[in-house]
Amino acid sequence: MREVSGILVAAHDLKAPLTTIRQLALALDGMDEEGEGIRTEMVNVSERALRQVNDLVKLPQLEEGLFKMEPVAIRAVCDDVLEELVGLFDFDRQNFKVRYQNRSRLVTANKELLSSVIYNFLSNAIHYSSGRKTRTELLVGERAGKIRVEIRDFGPALPIKIWREMKDGFIAEPKSIAMRPGSSGLGLYIASKFAKYMDAKVGAVRHRDGTSFFVELAISKQMSLWGLE
Amino acid sequence: MIFVIDNDFLMAKCVKCAVKKLDKEARIFSDAIDAMDGLGDELPEMIFLEILLTGPDGFTLLNELVSYSDTARIPIVIVSTIDFSQVDLSNYGVVGVLNKETMMPEEIQDYVKKYAK
Repeated sequence: MREVSGILVAAHDLKAPLTTIRQLALALDGMDEEGEGIRTEMVNVSERALRQVNDLVKLPQLEEGLFKMEPVAIRAVCDDVLEELVGLFDFDRQNFKVRYQNRSRLVTANKELLSSVIYNFLSNAIHYSSGRKTRTELLVGERAGKIRVEIRDFGPALPIKIWREMKDGFIAEPKSIAMRPGSSGLGLYIASKFAKYMDAKVGAVRHRDGTSFFVELAISKQMSLWGLE
Repeated sequence: MIFVIDNDFLMAKCVKCAVKKLDKEARIFSDAIDAMDGLGDELPEMIFLEILLTGPDGFTLLNELVSYSDTARIPIVIVSTIDFSQVDLSNYGVVGVLNKETMMPEEIQDYVKKYAK
C-alpha cells in the first residue's frame, strides 16, 4: 500500500509539468513546417505520458473498487482507441491490419480500464511500426468462451523472463524491458493490474520477429438474455 | 479585459496567449486576494479561474463574486485539472469548465468569443 501511495504522489507531481508542456507547445504557432512537426510531437508525447500518469492514478482506486463492471461493446472500444492513436502517431494505415472475428459483441469489463489496456498494447505496437514498413495487427476473436483481443507487433522479441511472468496472467511489479527500448514495463504492469480487476487475463506470445500481447475477457451474457446481442 | 486567475504562472500565460490572439487584453492574478484587489480597479468581461489556488481557493472566490450584484454577473470559466464536468456550478456564474490536460487554445477562444463583450 505504501508503494502505491508513493506512485500516486509521483504521478500527481508528473501530471502538472506534462500538462504545462502540452499547453506551451499548443501556444506556439507561426512556425515553418519542421517547427510545426516538432510542436505536434511535443503535444503528442505529452498526451501519451499524461495518459500513462492518469492510469497510475487509477491504481489505488482499484483497491477501493471504484470501477463498475458492465457489458462493454469490444469493437467500439477498439475503434475508439485506434482513432485516438491515429492522431498521435505518424504511421501508415496501410501497414495496420484490423480483424474482428468475434461473434459475441459484448464483454464484461469496465470501459475505462479496458480502453487503457488496449491503448497500452496498441501504442506499444505502433511505436515499432512508426516510420517503418513493419506491420501492426489487431485481432479480436473468440476462444474457449472468452473474447481475446490480440495485438501483434514486429518489434524486438519480449525477454523470456517477462514472457513467463505474463504466462501466469499477472505482473507483480514494474520492470524495465531493456530489449524493447521505448516500451514500458510500467505499461504492462498497469495493464495486468487493470485486467486482474476485470477478472481478465493478459498474456504474450513470443514470435521470431516480434510479440503478440493479448487480453482475454469474459463474454457478457446479460444482453443476449433479451435477444439484443 | 479578461482576468486569468491561476497560481501556475506558465499555464496562466498559455490562457492569456490564447486570449490575446483575439485582440483581447488579459491580466494574470496568482491568487484570489490579488484578484479581488484587481476587481476593485476594473470589472472584467469574463474570468478564467483555477479552483486550486494558494490561500483562499477558487470556491471562496466564487462565493465572494456572487455576493455582489456587479461581480455576480461576470461569466466564469473554470480551468482545472480536477474534473468538474459533472458538477453544476451555474449558480456561481460558471458558464463552462475546461480540463487543463485536454483543453485546446481554440476552446479558450470559443468562450472568449461567446462571453467577452
